[in-house]
Amino acid sequence: MTRGRVVAFVLVAVFLVVGAFVLGRVTAGVAPSPTTDSAAAGFLRDMQVHHAQAVEMALLVRDRTDDETVRTIAYDIAVTQASQSGAMYGLLDAWSLPQLASQPAMAWTELPARDGSDSGHQMDPDAPDGMPGLATAAQLDALRAATGDDAVRLFLELMIPHHEGGLEMADAVLARTDVPQVVSLATGIRRAQQAEIVVLQDLLAALPPAA
Amino acid sequence: MATPPNRPAQPTIKEQRADKRAAQLAAFKKQEAARKRNRILGIVAAVAALVLVAGTVTTVLVLNATPQQVDEELVSGDYADRLQLYPDLEATHTENRVSYDQSPPVGGAHNPAWLNCGVYDEEQQSENVVHTLEHGAVWIAYDPASTTDAEIAALVELAPDTYTVISPYDGLGEAMAISAWGAQMRFTDVDDAAVTDFLTDFWRSPDSPEPNAPCTGALDGPGKVS
Repeated sequence: MTRGRVVAFVLVAVFLVVGAFVLGRVTAGVAPSPTTDSAAAGFLRDMQVHHAQAVEMALLVRDRTDDETVRTIAYDIAVTQASQSGAMYGLLDAWSLPQLASQPAMAWTELPARDGSDSGHQMDPDAPDGMPGLATAAQLDALRAATGDDAVRLFLELMIPHHEGGLEMADAVLARTDVPQVVSLATGIRRAQQAEIVVLQDLLAALPPAA
Repeated sequence: MATPPNRPAQPTIKEQRADKRAAQLAAFKKQEAARKRNRILGIVAAVAALVLVAGTVTTVLVLNATPQQVDEELVSGDYADRLQLYPDLEATHTENRVSYDQSPPVGGAHNPAWLNCGVYDEEQQSENVVHTLEHGAVWIAYDPASTTDAEIAALVELAPDTYTVISPYDGLGEAMAISAWGAQMRFTDVDDAAVTDFLTDFWRSPDSPEPNAPCTGALDGPGKVS
């Protein structure tokens, strides 16, 4: 074999190996998915519970007031959070992770932060399921029983801390994961709820004082 | 005196034949070389294709084998033996009472209103609970005649807070039944590991007809405790 042929042969061989890797890489698809005990998976499970309650409260107040401003923001909260909830459900499903947690609710917030700024802590031991901002069953019953401005006031008083709790949970997962889909979801939730808190506070301030 | 132009001599017949033979031979050799080249090219192409295919397959296999999540927890033999599956159930709405093939029912025609998830201490209309199963919930039913308060408390503790109905169901006997749409298992011991296996497989399962549909906002049945 001449020197030229050897060079050609080596070049072809290199090309083939690289080509095979590229084809394989493209065919094999996405990067490894998060594990079932990861902060990402824990957040996706717990935030569905948190969101489901927001949807329920928003729909309750929509049925109990004629105030178009309140009805519109309630519609926004219900549809947005139901849709985000579906995305969270879908991500777990796409990663073949069970919806059922193998650990208690919010255990993922006790994992250390990625930059070491937080070694992990129990977030809100007093809230139902330890989820910050979650309303109690009694508070939901009170909302169901209320009508008109009373229902609106109760809704706002429950939804503001609910959103603030949502922010805390979003911050907690952003400190603990770099899974792009979860980072994007949590960032979106953060931005939307931060803005909505201001609107809700304004609505509460504009309400006539409680009878 | 001018030299006559040097005209090429006309080849003799013999020379012509020799030239022809030489040309034929050259053509044959050229053909032979082309054949040989084509054969080598063919072999190289075949080997290249083979390497490409083998390399692609190997890369896919290797990348897919790297730590992606294990699909689902392997179930114990016990659990698999006891698990009852009922595929292809009807999912229409009806205002009428329905005669279900399973007891407690695991699917089929059902009432337009789903039962809100929660813990109930009174028996519920199956037509409403079946609608809740359609939304991905799990139903734990126990016989009020043979279940202690401590056992009921343990069931409540065991079950997820959402997408679960816990309610009494007459005639079950000693066994409790955990059901999802199209699946059911009976158990007697609240600490039975197979119950967790069932919940892992079927609680809010994407195989239910309407996963992620609501478990609230419809009907609160009688005797709702929480």
